Amino acid sequence: MHRRAALIALAAVAAIAVLVWLASSGGPRAPQPQAALTEQAPTPTPAPEQRIMLLFAGGDGLLHPELRSVPLPAEVDERIRVVLRELLAGPGAASRLAPVVPYAASLEAVFIDEQGNAFVDLSAPPEPLAGSSTELLLAYGVVDSIILNCPEVKAVQILFGGREVATLAGHLDLSRPLALNKRFIAGS
Amino acid sequence: MKPKLTFLLTLAICCGTLSAQETTGALEFQFGERAVVAPRFGTKVEVVPVLELVGAEVTYSQAAGAWGVVLGEHVLQFATGHKVLLVDGTLHEAGEAPVPSPGGVAASLPYVERFLLSPLGLRLEPIAGGYRIEHGARFADPVTIRPAVADFGTTTTLVLTLSRAAAVTAVEGPGGTVEVRFADAAPQLDTSAPFRSRRVRSITRHDAELSIQLASGIGLLSWRSLDDPPRLTLELGPARPTPVPAPVQTLPLGDSGPRPIVLDPGHGGDDVGARSRDGLVEKELTLALARRVARALEARGYRVRLTRDDDQTRALTDRTALANRLDALLFVSLHANASTAPSVTGAETYYMSLDGPSDAAAAATAELENRAGQTAGEPTALDLILWDLAQAEVLNESAELALAVQGRLNALAGTRDRGVRQAPFVVLTGATMPAVLVEFGFLSNPDEARRLAEPEHQQQVAEAIAAGIEDFVGR
Ligand SMILES: [Zn+2]
Repeated sequence: MHRRAALIALAAVAAIAVLVWLASSGGPRAPQPQAALTEQAPTPTPAPEQRIMLLFAGGDGLLHPELRSVPLPAEVDERIRVVLRELLAGPGAASRLAPVVPYAASLEAVFIDEQGNAFVDLSAPPEPLAGSSTELLLAYGVVDSIILNCPEVKAVQILFGGREVATLAGHLDLSRPLALNKRFIAGS
Repeated sequence: MKPKLTFLLTLAICCGTLSAQETTGALEFQFGERAVVAPRFGTKVEVVPVLELVGAEVTYSQAAGAWGVVLGEHVLQFATGHKVLLVDGTLHEAGEAPVPSPGGVAASLPYVERFLLSPLGLRLEPIAGGYRIEHGARFADPVTIRPAVADFGTTTTLVLTLSRAAAVTAVEGPGGTVEVRFADAAPQLDTSAPFRSRRVRSITRHDAELSIQLASGIGLLSWRSLDDPPRLTLELGPARPTPVPAPVQTLPLGDSGPRPIVLDPGHGGDDVGARSRDGLVEKELTLALARRVARALEARGYRVRLTRDDDQTRALTDRTALANRLDALLFVSLHANASTAPSVTGAETYYMSLDGPSDAAAAATAELENRAGQTAGEPTALDLILWDLAQAEVLNESAELALAVQGRLNALAGTRDRGVRQAPFVVLTGATMPAVLVEFGFLSNPDEARRLAEPEHQQQVAEAIAAGIEDFVGR
C-alpha cells in the first residue's frame, strides 16, 4: 500500500520532470548540420557593417585581439561563418600577430543546437599538431572569437574533418563544447 | 466475490474520498484583521478561501487542469489528484494530492501549511474553532536532492546535489545503509536522472532522512559537505572491519606502504608530442625527466610510480585511472611545450578548469544519455561531469600544488615564469587527488630546446619539481 503509493508518486515526478525538461529544451532532437555557405553566395540585402573582435596568436604565446569592420548578418549561424572566415584569413597585413589555426584550414560546416552550443567543423590538420600551447590558442582563439561576437552562443565544440576529436595534440579536452575562457587572452 | 475485487474495494475504501462532497463542518481562518470560514471535508479543508484571505491571487487553468497561486514573487502550481506540485518553478513531492471540492479544491491542513502557506512565508497557529495565519514559515523551503553516482576501481563517489544549502549529516545506518539526515529541511528526491552503480542499490526518503542502501560489504568511507553548488559527497567502498584492540607492537604497513606520488611522462609510443628543430622529442624528454623527478622524490623518502616507464602508447584516461586505482597522494603530468611562435619560452603549471559546457547543457545531455540507456562500461556525459566533480573537490589543493611547483621552477636561472593557469586537460579530468600538468619548457624555441637537452639542466628542473611537490606535501 505504502510502497504502491510511493511508486505512483515517483512515476508522476518522473513524468512531470521529463515534461518540464522537454518544454525547456525543445525536445531531444539531434542538431542538424546545414550546408556550408559558399564564398560566392550572393546576399540579397547587404548586412550592416559592424566591428568584430578576432583573437590571434602573439609572440608571447597568448591571444591578442584585433578589431575589424565587416558586414555582419543577423542570423547567428551566418554570423559564426563570417567570424570564422575572418579568423581563418589571419591577422591584418600590418599585424605582428599569427593565425590561431596554424594550417590552411577551411570551414566545412556550422550548426547550433537548442542549448546554444555551436558546432564548427574545420578541415583536419595535414599533420599532427604538437604542444599544449598550440592546442590552447587554436581552441580558445576559435571559441572565444565566436562567443565574443555571438553572445547567444554559450559554448563551442570544434570538429575536425567532420569528426569529434578527444584532443588535438594530446592535452586539451575537445570532446565537449568549450565555454568562453579569457585566461589565454593577453592582459586578462 | 473474487479475492481480487475484494482487494480493490478495500483499497478504494482505505484510500478515502477521491473528491470532497459533503462538508463535515467548517474552520475559521484569521489573518491580520480579516477572517474567513472555510468548509471542511473530513481531514481536508477548502483551499481557495484560505489563499485569498492572505492576499494571494488564485486561478484555475482549464487547459492545464491546474491551479495557480501568485503572491508577490511566489508562484505555486498544483493539480487535484497529483501528489507533486511546483513551488517557484521547483518540483516537490507532497506525498498526498489535493481533491476536487464544491469550492474548487480541498487539501489536508498539513498540505496547506507545508506546501501552500510555508512557501509564502506563512504558518498556521491553532485557535478555538480554527487557525490564525501568522508570518514566519514553520517549514523551511523543501530541499531537492539530485543524486549522481560514479563507480571507480574500488570506490564509488555519490554526489547529492542540493537545491539550496542545508544542514546535513551522513552516518552509517543499520543493515548496510547510510542515513543522510537533514536538520532543518524536508528533503525531496529528484529521481528524474536514474543512476547505475555496482555499490549503491537504492536511495529512498523517509521524512527528514534519506536512506542509501549499499551493496553487501560496502560501507561509508568518508563524506563531506561542499558549497557552490551545495552538495554532499560520499565516498563508498569496502566496509572497514570492526576495529580490534590496538596491538602492543605497531605492525609494519607491509605491501600497501604510504600512498604513492604518480608521475606521468607525457605522450609515448605513437604519440611523439612536440619536437625540437634538433630532433629532441617530447615523449623521450618527459620520460627522462620523470625518472629524474622520481629519483629525487625517492631520495626524500616518497613512494613514486610512473604511468609508463618505457616508450609505450598509453591512453590519457588510463593514466588518471592508474593514479585513482593506486589512491595516489598526488598526480603530476610532465610535458614539454611547442608554439607556432619560436620566440615563446618558459615554464607553466596547469590545474583543471571546470568551465566546460554550461551546466544546463551538460545536465540535459546527461539526462538524454541516461534515458537512452548506455552500454555498461562506456562513460556517459554524466560520468564525465562526475569526474569533473571528483577533481572539483580537490581543486583548491591542485591550485596549491601548481603554485608550489611553479614557484620552484621560477627560481631556476633562465626559466621564464609563464605562471599557473587552468585548462580542461583530459589527463587531469577525473583525478581524485591533487593533480597538475607541468609544461617545463618550449621545444619550439631553439635556445630553450638546447638547454632542455642538457642532463645538468634536466636535473635542475627535476629537483625543482620534486622540491615543489615536497613544499606542497609538507605545507
Ligand atoms: Zn605534451
